Amino acid sequence: MDNTSIKRKRGLRFYLRIYFKIISQDIKSKMSYRADFITTFFGMIALNLSGFIAFWVIFKNFPQINGWDYREMLFLYAFSLIALVPAEFFFDNNWNLQQAIVTGDFIKYCFKPLNIFFYYMSEVFGIRGLGQLVFGVGTLIYAWVGLALPVSFLIIVKLLIALFSASLFMIALRNLSAATCFWIINGLHVMNITNKFRDYARYPITIFGGVFRVIFTFVIPIAFMAYYPSLELLDTKQPVFLTYLTPIYGIIFFWLSYKVWMKGAMNYSGTGS
Amino acid sequence: MPIVEFKNVSKHFKVLNRREGLVGGLKDLFSRDYKTVKAVDGVSFSVEAGEIVGYLGPNGAGKSTTIKMMTGVLLPTSGDISVSGRVPYKDRTKTAANIGVVFGQRSQLWWSLPLIESFKILRDIYDISQEDYAKQLALYESLVDLEPLYSKPVREMSLGQRTLCDILAAFLHNPAVVFLDEPTIGLDVAMKAKIRELIHTLNRVNNTTIILTTHDIGDVDALCRRIVIIDKGVMIYDDSAENLSKFFGQYRTLKIKTDDEITYESVTITRNEEWVEIVTKEDEMPVMEILQALQKSHKISDIRIEEITTEEIIKKIYAGDGR
Repeated sequence: MDNTSIKRKRGLRFYLRIYFKIISQDIKSKMSYRADFITTFFGMIALNLSGFIAFWVIFKNFPQINGWDYREMLFLYAFSLIALVPAEFFFDNNWNLQQAIVTGDFIKYCFKPLNIFFYYMSEVFGIRGLGQLVFGVGTLIYAWVGLALPVSFLIIVKLLIALFSASLFMIALRNLSAATCFWIINGLHVMNITNKFRDYARYPITIFGGVFRVIFTFVIPIAFMAYYPSLELLDTKQPVFLTYLTPIYGIIFFWLSYKVWMKGAMNYSGTGS
Repeated sequence: MPIVEFKNVSKHFKVLNRREGLVGGLKDLFSRDYKTVKAVDGVSFSVEAGEIVGYLGPNGAGKSTTIKMMTGVLLPTSGDISVSGRVPYKDRTKTAANIGVVFGQRSQLWWSLPLIESFKILRDIYDISQEDYAKQLALYESLVDLEPLYSKPVREMSLGQRTLCDILAAFLHNPAVVFLDEPTIGLDVAMKAKIRELIHTLNRVNNTTIILTTHDIGDVDALCRRIVIIDKGVMIYDDSAENLSKFFGQYRTLKIKTDDEITYESVTITRNEEWVEIVTKEDEMPVMEILQALQKSHKISDIRIEEITTEEIIKKIYAGDGR
């Protein structure tokens, strides 16, 4: 009776294929609710715009923060926005985790012959990341031109690596804070708090005192979400040792967050039904 | 060889003994005083391929825990489990490839996708060959009117349609075992009948083993030849549905119409408007004997004798009688 057992090992290709199918269907169905789609898109632009205005007001009053001028700060700001996009796109379902656990709906993710983390995340494509992406890229280009940074193949590759590494931190932090929902009843608060912390990613780490600098580097590593990787890209700044550590540390942190999330999922037994 | 086998399986949970009040809550923070709850305690049973087994028990009896252990979601504290030749908790994904699960109130389909897209994704997930997939869809179309549902997103479906589609999705990869958890909950009578018929047919066509948990005895009467009952983690019955009444005694209800106060030794008597209901175990106290005795001393205007239903037997079991 073993007629449908899986013959081959399920590799990356299998998961990519399934993922593409689910996500493309999800986007298609989301676009079919046009009003919803447009509201979400422009809502996200508006939200980013209001954040930007607050940022702009600060710099009207302080032309420099710790040796960082307006354009450099704008660069950090745009960088952190773009680095958040993959977390918004592909790991948005983390926000629904508490709900899924409280209602017991999470159990359904355990019944398919798929990796639970994969299956759970594949279910939602966070379309609001699109507004963020558009706004972030626009701001980055503006800052890039303003800073008169060079445009070469090498620096584009560097930028992409830096963004990719930073996004791993964004994703990992979200995974970790969402995973608390497996152990505590109100993990959503943890998610909101770390989300607030993430806002500090757009400031140079040097503005913080010693203790916070250690915390933001090694405990809640938001300094890697824009500051450290940007040092390599900006002409006016000198990269430090941690800048080059960003990709490796990012991968480790992401892997760790995945392990913790999975441990939580295994720990979970669901409410009775 | 049995398709599902439980050998002396137990699942114990450690639960914090909560103290009362604010001070108690503070104490809980520091000293953790656990007690062990035996959700499932030494349960053994085996299910042969093609059987439909009704797995019954009151709320909190350990049904969900059993199902979770069968599907590899929960690790048993002790004992051996095998599902279609595999140990579920050792290899959850491989076990999952060969089982189907339906949870009555929780759709496992993609909420925003049209049904046919969900089916296509399931085809990929379970690695169903093009040929088997077409065959199964042809079967489905011959059983229910699927055409209008194909393009409908699950979120726009009625509960009945959703349940129907969930059941079809669970059988799509032709699994060896399907777990149905309250498949007819919340449905109207006509839809219940339709779902039961569908389950029955799907069981027959591919000889699929079905384990059904339900609180609706109609499901049991319509589908299950065999019943397993669990209560407080302990298995208390495992036999055919017909034998249930024998095992728990041949209960009959004698209804008499009278204005008098009725008392009789060692039987339960309830008054329901003008009818007096006397429930008795036939082998201990025959109905006829009671009737004859009562006739001598009371004026009886009408009588009725009713066989006890499965529902009433189960109710008695849940209430703790007959054990």
